Amino acid sequence: MPLTRRDVLKSAGALVLASRSARAVTRPWQRDRKKEDRMNSRHLMTLRLATAATEEVGSTRHGTLSIFPVTGGSFEGDRLRGKVLPGGGDWVTAKPDGTFELDLRVTLETDDGALIHMTFSGVRDDANHYFRTLPLFETAAMKYAFVNRLLAVGIGEIGPEGPVHTIEEIL
Amino acid sequence: MNTRVLMTLRVEVATPQNIGAVPHGTRRTVPITGGRFEGPRLRGTVLPGGSIDWTLLRADGVLELDLRATLRTEDGALISMRSFGLRHGPPDVIAALGRGETVDPASYYFRTTPRFETAHPTYAFLNRRVAVASGDRRPEGPIYTIHEVL
Repeated sequence: MPLTRRDVLKSAGALVLASRSARAVTRPWQRDRKKEDRMNSRHLMTLRLATAATEEVGSTRHGTLSIFPVTGGSFEGDRLRGKVLPGGGDWVTAKPDGTFELDLRVTLETDDGALIHMTFSGVRDDANHYFRTLPLFETAAMKYAFVNRLLAVGIGEIGPEGPVHTIEEIL
Repeated sequence: MNTRVLMTLRVEVATPQNIGAVPHGTRRTVPITGGRFEGPRLRGTVLPGGSIDWTLLRADGVLELDLRATLRTEDGALISMRSFGLRHGPPDVIAALGRGETVDPASYYFRTTPRFETAHPTYAFLNRRVAVASGDRRPEGPIYTIHEVL
């Protein structure tokens, strides 16, 4: 197909834009960072987990251990989405002060086939409606390598179909 | 994500122990010799001895931090703090930090996720919270602004 004058102008415009953005590389954590007074974050994904019947291990060194096997689920965000593979779990320890200590490991599979290993520790304190986690990610997929370089906070809730975690990247 | 400032923590560091190339990366252990923390609800000093930052420079250029510190409040409570963190940035900025220069902390990513343990009832709220911090790596030691996640 022959190039039209409009195509040439369009590609020239794209080149100008590309060189501009290359000069002014702004990393996400450099934006809007008001000194000291707050932490900025942005949505990374909403993670929904499906779990099987709890395995009640009982009294252990640190409290009462229950294991929630993860049988599946989904995750969705602007930059990545896909499903949770069966086989992970959340090791939940009920502590004497009434809180639960969380220790999750799951494998995420993106809709384009990349695998991401995800873990989190966290606290669930039902008396104070507090359910927060600190997720970490590991992947070998170049496209998603940004998840290797970020820290995150999850805000958890128990939905009708299982736990839902709104995970924000700490900028 | 709603957060509230918990404290500013300044730690003083001794000469790092360069363990070197280990299977996961380059390991360097940084003993902490003291420091201070100050916030609206707690303030005090950092105890030397059990306060160390175990760092690992990964193959992808990201520095993993694994800090453990014992804090003593001005009213005598001991608080054990552990935090995992990441530090990375443009090569020139990281090189400047390596030379011991003071660099604008907004020019690199330095974030940690502290957790706390204490037996003291005044500070028991810390046992039930997760926290996030932004760091500012100064030649004399890092300064962390720690926010509790609400």
